[in-house]
Amino acid sequence: MPGTPLPKMTLPKMTSRRRKSLALVAAAAAVPLVLTGCTDNTKTPGSSASAGPIQVTSNKTECKVSIGSVPSGNLSFAVKNEGTEITEFYLLAEDGLRIVGEVENIGPGLTRNLVVTAPAGKYTTACKPGMQGDGIRAALEVTDSGNKTGVDADFQKLVDTGVQQYTAYVRDQTEQLVTGTKAFADAYAAGDATKARELYAATRMHWERIEPVAESFGDLDPKLDAREADLEPGQEWTGWHRAEKDLFPPAGYTALTATERAKIATQLVSDTEELGKRTRTVVLPADKLGNGAKELLDEVARGKVTGEEEIWSHTDLWDFQANVDGARIAFENLKPALAQKDPALATSLDEKFAALQAELKKYAKGDGFAYYNELGPAEVQQLAALVDALGEPLSKLTSAVVL
Amino acid sequence: MTANFLIGLREGLEATLVVVLLMAYLVKTGRRSLLPRLWAGVGIAVAVSIAFGALLTFGPQGLTFAAQEAIGGGLSIVAVALVTWMVFWMARTARSLGGELKSQVDKLADGAAWGLVVVAALAVGREGLETALFLWAAAQAAGESSQPLLGALLGLAVAAGLGYLLHRGVLKVNLSRFFTWTGVGLIVIAGGVLAYGIHDLQEAGILPGLHNLAFDVSAAIPPSSWYGTLLKGTLNLSPATTWLEAGAWLLYVIPVLYFYIRANRSAPAKSSGNAVAGNAATSKAA
Repeated sequence: MPGTPLPKMTLPKMTSRRRKSLALVAAAAAVPLVLTGCTDNTKTPGSSASAGPIQVTSNKTECKVSIGSVPSGNLSFAVKNEGTEITEFYLLAEDGLRIVGEVENIGPGLTRNLVVTAPAGKYTTACKPGMQGDGIRAALEVTDSGNKTGVDADFQKLVDTGVQQYTAYVRDQTEQLVTGTKAFADAYAAGDATKARELYAATRMHWERIEPVAESFGDLDPKLDAREADLEPGQEWTGWHRAEKDLFPPAGYTALTATERAKIATQLVSDTEELGKRTRTVVLPADKLGNGAKELLDEVARGKVTGEEEIWSHTDLWDFQANVDGARIAFENLKPALAQKDPALATSLDEKFAALQAELKKYAKGDGFAYYNELGPAEVQQLAALVDALGEPLSKLTSAVVL
Repeated sequence: MTANFLIGLREGLEATLVVVLLMAYLVKTGRRSLLPRLWAGVGIAVAVSIAFGALLTFGPQGLTFAAQEAIGGGLSIVAVALVTWMVFWMARTARSLGGELKSQVDKLADGAAWGLVVVAALAVGREGLETALFLWAAAQAAGESSQPLLGALLGLAVAAGLGYLLHRGVLKVNLSRFFTWTGVGLIVIAGGVLAYGIHDLQEAGILPGLHNLAFDVSAAIPPSSWYGTLLKGTLNLSPATTWLEAGAWLLYVIPVLYFYIRANRSAPAKSSGNAVAGNAATSKAA
């Protein structure tokens, strides 16, 4: 082919009508995209307590944030790079994983701004000089300004945002559950009972936080979470509690063989992976969040307060905490919407969650909790009373937001 | 200064490469008259990016982080779809160059040539907003020091210069090789753009798996080094790549390259009569 002379081609001109319609299509596609993604650059009036943006200065070894605590609403960061390398700034959720906002490509000598709408809660800030690694992290507390984020914002938009955030939370928890389950299953199958016992309660927390979603897959839940007492005749017992009994054996119990253990472990991992796969596409409307939160609390009342869930390991308080976490996150994701419809209910839920959490905290020990059989009847009763007190307003959440 | 220069270079290369290869293609096939359309696309993207960047920096409203990522990521993925289509269109027209099918090709080419405007606009626009935001920040700092802005603009200029050299270079390549290599080049670049687009959507929380890394070579290829910059600018290689990104890259590049090479290999051997049939088959496949 080299050397072949190329034929010159002329093309018919495009008609102006077609040109116009092309431009219209492009404009029609761009406008809503841009409009829905807008956020106020200016601060919401009323939250002027900390006027001006939060100053962040980043260099090679430091990431200075001018303030450790800010009122909720629109947070504005001015990130100055005083180092010699390109840096990035991230605002991460408390788990240090979910990105709430970020600004990349901050060249040396430059200041770039980040504006995010942040509800009250705990956050992590991070600068990444050189754009690699986990960055230099610090905690940032966002206090409740009492200012409803965007009072005039479209109600449905608030609900949608909440649902989106919760869906992301469920996905994140599932991913952590899959990773954690693999580590647990490895240790368990390898006969490393000490390590498996250590991982047991902490890993299950990821499961317990998203239990209503997990339970919506009717076939997986019994395979993963069935208790011996609840088995139907002829049902094969697999999942977490099968391993639990083996790891925390009651008197007179015959331990499983290595082959049996390996089988339980493999099944546990494959069922959890299946759960992860299905969760990725799960659609959660707002009522699922509200009802899910209530279900989680019912779970607490049904299984954890009674100490039935973890009858051998007695790690019920881990599950307890995780159920409360899951319910609280669902509530908080709906809170901006709820605050518009029924601010009194939002306040009441805030108080009740805080009271229950404070009581739970009394039993915290290191990274975990006291064993449930260490609690006295009066202490259990106190926890149960707080669960009931929370359950009552929580049952109104769904109707307040959805109707 | 150097760091800002590297940002300009990287963003510039990301925007330039696709445009340069499309340009070389138009020149090679004797369609110089279409170059203004390509430039129109580039111009639109630059103007829109700069205007939006200024609006978002100085105006009353900013863009949420998620929206910024979603726009960047979404545009990248659309750009990949268009570039892929262009590549196969190029393979098809390349094949019928020696044949007698001008009128048919011309008919096809008209639609595709307008596609050029869109491809050029997307190739530049997907990185445009981010770059414009950076440049405005640099312009704001110009009061204290003009170095960042100067560095970034220098980087962009060098990227454009490299693009020009590449353009001159590929024009010297003989024709059949040229078609194969521009196509392969575009496919590999598009694979990188796709992976990067997916990463953006992961950061926006639209796609999962942001923290599941397939590999992390950022110790060996620091993203702030000049070679890290070149790799990112040309191939969109991210030193810390998630499984989803890596998977998307492989799932895109391998099959598309396969079909592309197959389509190209059969091309020169065929007579003009066969080319009609081949042409029809390819248009269905594309």
